[in-house]
This record gives sequence, C-alpha cells and structure tokens, in this order.
Amino acid sequence: MTARRPIRWHIAVFLAPAVLVYTAIMIVPLIGTLNLSLYRATETGPQFVGLGNFRTLFGDALWSDAFWNALGNNVWFFIIHMLVQNPIGILLAALLSSPRLRLAAFYRTAIFVPTVLSFVIVGFVWKLILSPLWGIAPSMLGAVGLKGLFAPWLGQEGSALTALALVSVWQFVGIPMMLIYAALLSIPDEVMEAAEMDGITGWSRFWKVQLPLILPSIGIISILTFVGNFNAFDLIYVAQGALAGPDFATDILGTFLYRTFFGFQLQIGDPNMGAAIATAMFLIILAGVCVYLFGIQTRLRRYQF
Amino acid sequence: MGSLELRNVTKVFGKTEIIKGIDLSVKDGEFVVFVGPSGCGKSTLLRMIAGLEDVTSGAVVLDGQDVTAVAPAKRGIAMVFQSYALYPHLTVRDNMGLALRQAGAPRSEIAQAVGRASAMLALDPYLERRPAELSGGQRQRVAIGRAIVRTPSLFLFDEPLSNLDAALRVATRIEIARLHRELGATMIYVTHDQVEAMTLADRIVVLRAGQVEQVGRPMELYNDPANTFVAGFIGSPRMNFLKGAALGESADTVGVRPEHLAISRQGNAIPGTVSHVEKLGGETLVYVRSEVHGLLTVRLFGEQDFSVDEAVQLTPEPPRSLRFDAAGRRLR
Ligand SMILES: Nc1ncnc2c1ncn2[C@@H]1O[C@H](COP(=O)(O)OP(=O)(O)OP(=O)(O)O)[C@@H](O)[C@H]1O
Ligand SMILES: [Mg+2]
Repeated sequence: MTARRPIRWHIAVFLAPAVLVYTAIMIVPLIGTLNLSLYRATETGPQFVGLGNFRTLFGDALWSDAFWNALGNNVWFFIIHMLVQNPIGILLAALLSSPRLRLAAFYRTAIFVPTVLSFVIVGFVWKLILSPLWGIAPSMLGAVGLKGLFAPWLGQEGSALTALALVSVWQFVGIPMMLIYAALLSIPDEVMEAAEMDGITGWSRFWKVQLPLILPSIGIISILTFVGNFNAFDLIYVAQGALAGPDFATDILGTFLYRTFFGFQLQIGDPNMGAAIATAMFLIILAGVCVYLFGIQTRLRRYQF
Repeated sequence: MGSLELRNVTKVFGKTEIIKGIDLSVKDGEFVVFVGPSGCGKSTLLRMIAGLEDVTSGAVVLDGQDVTAVAPAKRGIAMVFQSYALYPHLTVRDNMGLALRQAGAPRSEIAQAVGRASAMLALDPYLERRPAELSGGQRQRVAIGRAIVRTPSLFLFDEPLSNLDAALRVATRIEIARLHRELGATMIYVTHDQVEAMTLADRIVVLRAGQVEQVGRPMELYNDPANTFVAGFIGSPRMNFLKGAALGESADTVGVRPEHLAISRQGNAIPGTVSHVEKLGGETLVYVRSEVHGLLTVRLFGEQDFSVDEAVQLTPEPPRSLRFDAAGRRLR
C-alpha cells in the first residue's frame, strides 16, 4: 500500500507573494494593453473591433509608412549598437583585464559613469556639444585643423539617427564592458598561465582562449541590447522631441508609440491605436527573445572551470 | 638539453623577500623534487623558472643560456598545474594540440604528437571529450599530455597529484616515474607528500622560508640530514628529538628515528608511559610520553601489543642517533 502524497501547500504559499506582485504590475497591464488594442473609441463608448486597429496600422498608408519608418530606424539603431557598442565594450574589457594596465579601477569607473547619468542630461549635453552655433565640437575640431569635417549631425536627416545611436553607445558602453570584464575575471589565472606556457599570448590568446569562454556573456549582452533598443525612447525624446526630427528621421517605435498614445501638438492622442503599436512592439521583442532563447542560447555552452 | 641553473635568484613581493637567494643546478635528465612547509616559496620558485613570475635579482640559466628575460613559451619548458588548468572549451585532442597549432606545426605532425602522448597516457578513448566530461585523474593525465606534446626539455610540476584520491595518486605517481624514464627529460616537481618526494626524486631540495636548507639524494637526506629542520621534515613519522643533557651527551639535541628506538617493559633507559597506539597491520606506532623528552614515537615491525598507560622503557640505537648543536646544526 502506498501512502497518498499530501498536497504540498507550502509551495503555493511561498510562490504567492512573487506571483501576486508580478501579476499586479506586469501581467494585468500587459493584458489590459492587449485588450485595449482590440477596441475603438466611439461616441457611444468603446466598441470591439477585433483586429481592426491592426488592419489600420498595417493597411492604411498613413499609419503603415510611419510604422515601417520607425521599425527601420529602430533596426538601424540596434545594428549600430551591435557593431559599435558591443565590440568596443569587449575591447575595453579585454584591455582592463590585462594585468599590466595601471589605473584600471579609474578607467573602469570613468567609462561606467555615463551609464548612471540621466538621459535628460546626456541628451542635453550632447545637443550642446554638437550644436553648430555654440557647441564645442566645431571649435575642438577646428583646434586640430579638421573644422571642415564638422556638420550639424543632429540636424541632418542622413546623420541624425546615427549620431544619436552613437551618443547612446557612448552612454551605455559601460554595461557590456562590465559584463565581459566580469566574465574575463572568472577565467582562472592558471588557465591563462597555461596558455602563456603554450605560447598563446596577446591577440591569439584573446581569440583562442578568452573569446570562446565569454561567448555566453556576449549572447546575454546581445539580447539585453536588443530589448533595450526596441524599448528605447528617452534619448530621442530629449534630443529631438516627440516629433523625432528632422522629418521623422530619428523616429523609433518608442517615440511613435508616445506620439500616437498621448498625442503631440496638433495630433490627438489615440489610446487604442497606441495600444496596437505597443502590442506590435511586444510581439517583435518577444519574437527576438524567442529566437535568442531557442536558437542561440541552447548552442552556447557554458563551461565550468 | 635540459640542464637548469639558478644563480642567486631572489623574489620580492612588495616589501617582503619571499625567495632569499637560491643557487641550484639541475643536470640534464634529473628528477628534482622541491619540498618544504607551506608558504616557503616552492610554487614561487617554480613559477620563476617557468617565467610566469619575474625574477627580482639573479639569473635563470637553461642549457647555458641566460633566459631570465625570455618569455615563458620561448624557454621550452612545460608546466603542469595543480588545478590542471585545461582549456574548458576544447576537446582533449585540441587541448593537447593547441600549443603546436599555435606554433604553426603541420597538421600531420600535430596528430602524430597527440597520438603518441595519448597512447602513452592511455587517453585514446577520451580524445573527443571536453575536460568537464573527465574524472580528476583523467584531467590530470590530459594536463600531463599537453605538456608532453610540446617535447620540452624541462617539465615543471606543481603538486600535480594533490587533488587526486590516494589510489589514483599512487597510480599516477608510478606513471610519472615511467614517463621520466621514457622521455629522459629533466623534471622539477613540487610536493607536500613525503612518499612522492622519496620515491620519485633523484635529488630532493628542502626549502624553508625562501632558502635552501639542504640538497641531496633521498637517502642522504634521510640518513644524513644537515640540521634539525631537514631531519624533522624528511621521514614520516617525524624524527624524535631527545635532550642531549639528559642522555649524558655533549650535544644539545639527539635525533632518533622512530624505527631506531627500542621499546621494552623493563630496564632503565628512558622511562615513559604509552599514550597512544596505532596499529597499521604491517607496523605498529607507539606514542610514548616521557617526563624529560616529551612525546616520542616508536615504530615497530608487525603487530605489537601495548596498552595505553602502560609503563615502558625506550633505548636509542646509539650508532643510528644524530647529534645536533643548540642552533640545530648537525655535529659530526
Ligand atoms: N603574488 C603574490 N604577492 C604577494 N605575496 C605572494 C604572492 N604569491 C605568493 N606570495 C607569498 O609568497 C610566499 C610563498 O608562496 P608560495 O605559493 O611560493 O608557497 P608554497 O611554498 O608554494 O606553499 P604551498 O605549499 O602552500 O603551495 C607566501 O608567503 C605567499 O604569501
Ligand atoms: Mg604552492
């Protein structure tokens, strides 16, 4: 005879606080947003329209042009981060972890400081620096005889988005640097010394020993960058306003959502269409995270030492 | 091909001198073991030979060439670490072949060298595994294999067996002795283990606080130690130190190995009481507390019956006792 397993109530009890808090502040608003995107405001109150808002978003040229523009800009924003921020972060971490580097703690802090600054300060400061009228960039370039290179980068359609992406890189490069630095420090000294005995030094040591061992951290950084970039809003808003000028050249999904949801200047806020955009953003990020979790992370091995 | 000479090498960390001027010469093909208490600088000295640690002053000379300023990989030395230090992301085969690949050796040559080493160490079934999928003993063999593949003229081992269990330690010790015979390379080996030191070494270097206390063949150190430190450090159980005055000797201290102390139930030599008995089957260790000399150890052959608190008499075998002066130096 086997005794019946008693119901283990304590598991539910221990889970309850986290589940309740998470439900209240994450699940409920998420479902609320999804729900909101299925209605349209009419004079007689909200009316269920199914996927009607999405049909408008993707079918109506007025909406879909803006959406694809924002998505395209967002993808470029992400590409700049992946190609500039993360390699530089890895490079800085590799330099910092070199035992011969002096003042490493100072550099580490100095590079990380912008990350803790407010977007408002960063956006404003860079706007001032790059201003063609009173910014210091033109005169600094002038001091080294490169004045000809200067252009009002934030004001030109072709360069504004790239310039802002680089400002964002400047601000956040400390995060990949710290994560990779921690990963590099977790490689035991003796492994690095064994490599030294084997004649694997300098760059080949980085490529053949360190890089394979920090790949999982690089994966994490990529997905953090992806989520962060597709949720970005603040820096563009501070530097270029909700219209994300010039001529929507710096409009990303976050600013597009903001304008739609809350309205801006002559545009009247439309919470239902805003919710539809928010849902689309949610699905894009979800898809990206799924690709990472199931396609990439399972292939990255974590090694214990 | 693999001779080593240390000329008055010193090492200073910050303000503390860790290695205080060591001179040593190791002949080609010799197996030299460094022993000494924890923190005496054995690992530091080994790492200085490897080039992983800078030499503060003095010179490291390999085959007559001063290599003090030469990079580790250029010295033709291989090192086996206590923690194995394998590359976790590479298979056993790649772990062993990486150094040759880095040096630009042709594929066939790498495959041959890895094949030879893995055959020597019985690693063939594991060549495609990664270190995480191996046992401790197998990992240590891979680490040794990685050293062999480079065909160095000098091998350095830093306590390579201390993470292994007792049985594996014996097996790997025998393997290392066999490798030394087959490869004929010079080996320098750091250990805490008396048995490893005595069985493997051609010569043992006893270090204390960054200085060489004595260098010699294992039996030389055992039978003819230069001072009380070496006498006490080599040999297990430890040598007994008796007070010379109480024995009517001119020497300050008289050292007697536990097997050279006779024990009997009557007589009037050194009286004492049995405080503990350890029966190991092949031998019996009797610990005797003496009023004058403190706790003494007697080693007896076979199984012997002594009970705790029994009164006994100890007699040193006169020709086998060693005499030391007040500073611990041997009186001959
Ligand atoms: N990088 C370092 N900086 C400062 N002091 C060090 C450093 N490395 C070692 N030491 C000191 O040097 C002394 C010798 O260390 P070492 O590791 O050579 O000892 P050891 O003889 O190998 O000891 P063990 O048998 O415990 O391994 C120790 O007192 C240690 O504290
Ligand atoms: Mg040590």
